[in-house]
Amino acid sequence: MDVQTRRVAAATVALSFVLVDARPALAHGFGPTYDIPIPLWLYLYGAAAAVVLAFVPLALFSGKERDATYRYPTFDLFSIRPLRTLLTSRLLVGGLRLLSVALFFLVVIAGLVGLQSGFNIVPTLVWIIWWVGLGFFTALVGNVWPLVNPWRVLFDWAEGVARRLGYRDGLGLGARYPEALGIWPAVGLYLAFVWVENVFGGSYVPRNIALFALAYTLITLYAMAFFGKETWLRRGEVFSVFFGLIGRFAPTEVRVKDPNVCRDCGGCEAGEGCVNCYECFGRAGPDERELNLRPPAVGLGLPERVPPGGAAFVVVVLAGLTFDGLLETPLWLEIVRLTPVTQTLGVILLPALFFGIYLCFVQLSRLLGGEGMGLGRFAAAYAFSLVPIAIAYQMAHYYTYLLIQGQMIVSLVSDPLGWGWDLFGTADFEPNYGVVGAGFVWYSQVALIVAGHVIAVYLAHSTSLRLLRDPGRAFRSQIPMLVLMVLYTITSLWILAQPIVK
Amino acid sequence: MTRNVIVILAVVIVLGGLFFLLRPDTRAAGPRERTFDVSIEGGEMNPAEISVNEGDTVTLHISSDERMELHVHGYDLERSVGPGPAADAQFEADLTGRFEIEDHETERELGVLQVRPR
Repeated sequence: MDVQTRRVAAATVALSFVLVDARPALAHGFGPTYDIPIPLWLYLYGAAAAVVLAFVPLALFSGKERDATYRYPTFDLFSIRPLRTLLTSRLLVGGLRLLSVALFFLVVIAGLVGLQSGFNIVPTLVWIIWWVGLGFFTALVGNVWPLVNPWRVLFDWAEGVARRLGYRDGLGLGARYPEALGIWPAVGLYLAFVWVENVFGGSYVPRNIALFALAYTLITLYAMAFFGKETWLRRGEVFSVFFGLIGRFAPTEVRVKDPNVCRDCGGCEAGEGCVNCYECFGRAGPDERELNLRPPAVGLGLPERVPPGGAAFVVVVLAGLTFDGLLETPLWLEIVRLTPVTQTLGVILLPALFFGIYLCFVQLSRLLGGEGMGLGRFAAAYAFSLVPIAIAYQMAHYYTYLLIQGQMIVSLVSDPLGWGWDLFGTADFEPNYGVVGAGFVWYSQVALIVAGHVIAVYLAHSTSLRLLRDPGRAFRSQIPMLVLMVLYTITSLWILAQPIVK
Repeated sequence: MTRNVIVILAVVIVLGGLFFLLRPDTRAAGPRERTFDVSIEGGEMNPAEISVNEGDTVTLHISSDERMELHVHGYDLERSVGPGPAADAQFEADLTGRFEIEDHETERELGVLQVRPR
């Protein structure tokens, strides 16, 4: 059997596996949960708190005019000399990039040749450490993806080689990106990713992960060469767009002081200062760069030009993060009967439903206070304010996975392929399952979700003031958004309160 | 300013009061001795879920139609079970959470041990 036939055979086997065995417990590569659903009383308490707290910003801040410009306190970490030397050192930056590429190749190699069942580093490394862990790091510390993105690094290296060989334009094929397409390619790729994560039954099989990674590498490298590296990273490289969105929540930002640097950049608006535009940051001189500490979540309130598909991407992310929790509820099981076809429909219909509901509430909000303003502009402005609820839900749902399943990485690094190695003497490490008690998990989950809700409500409030200027209109227009946020938060809590389907 | 203080105080009182009002008093029950007759037939555990409270002393009488190594995750409890007289397993439920009970060789999930916190 040649490679081609074998691959087709493997795909057929994988597909039949999906068709026969669509157990939700194995639907994604996260392994078993150790959490008990939150009890009814705590669910009701969280829901009541969400309702009460939704109206606190209104009571506290209503009737106050707000400056139309968006300012918040920042502290430049680069102003501390030793820190600047450390953070900009070639050793650290180059080391991280090298490590990232090495891990990428580890995933591909271990996925293709390593043990396929049981001991293999790939599922834990990709789903727990990278997808969940890096997501948390991005939200809580800052977005390092533009620095370590292995596809960007590989492309940079390839381009360096091409230049040395005498191609002056590097790898660029020089095609013009159709601006009207906006970030719709990233929306499509994100939906595909959610499908692979949740519906495709073999997302925890190392070989599948490696094959998906290789396929994505081809798409990404080709598109970067075709449309230009920065354009594709901003418009189509789904993880750059995703971590960029989550990174708006982070308490750090990169900023370019000189607006002239950003004049020709299509990605950022120089008027409010160039924040988190890595293209401009890369171009700016060392003295023009700032690495700022800032209050958390303020990046989600930044007025910015939102590209076509921007609001849709946010809503699709909100739906995608909710989707994997929803998949495990008895209600979902009842509705869709868990066949791959209905699951796939769910991946498409749920974001569409989210988007429809969202647009209804935005339209209500516009009717109540936003006379004379386009629906598109309204929808784009409010979309970011919902992100804290999704981040809080993601954390509540997955932090115990990270704490318990994440420990597996200690033994896996010693035997990444499952070939019985013991590289670092940690292969026999047993995870400690008692890191967090179930009672603490309950309270922290509800506290996280309610905290995310409060941040979201505050963001919606400041967005409406910025958008409408007039406090009276802002007051009226934000009420539908508050109702939507209460509903979304209660849905998140509801999912956490559902019994686990075996 | 005073209005803001009143609003915040009111919210704290309402939410704090609600918390103590809704929260059930689980401590009153105290730790208990719990015994379960567990049978495994055709890879299915009956009852499929063993639910106890933190601090309970749990005894499992396990019988099975096939020989296997039963493994309780988290508690790292292992028992050889099989046809014939039931095997006994006793432990203190000091770890809270949801733990899979599996056949150690095939890693097939048989059931779940759920330990609720106090």
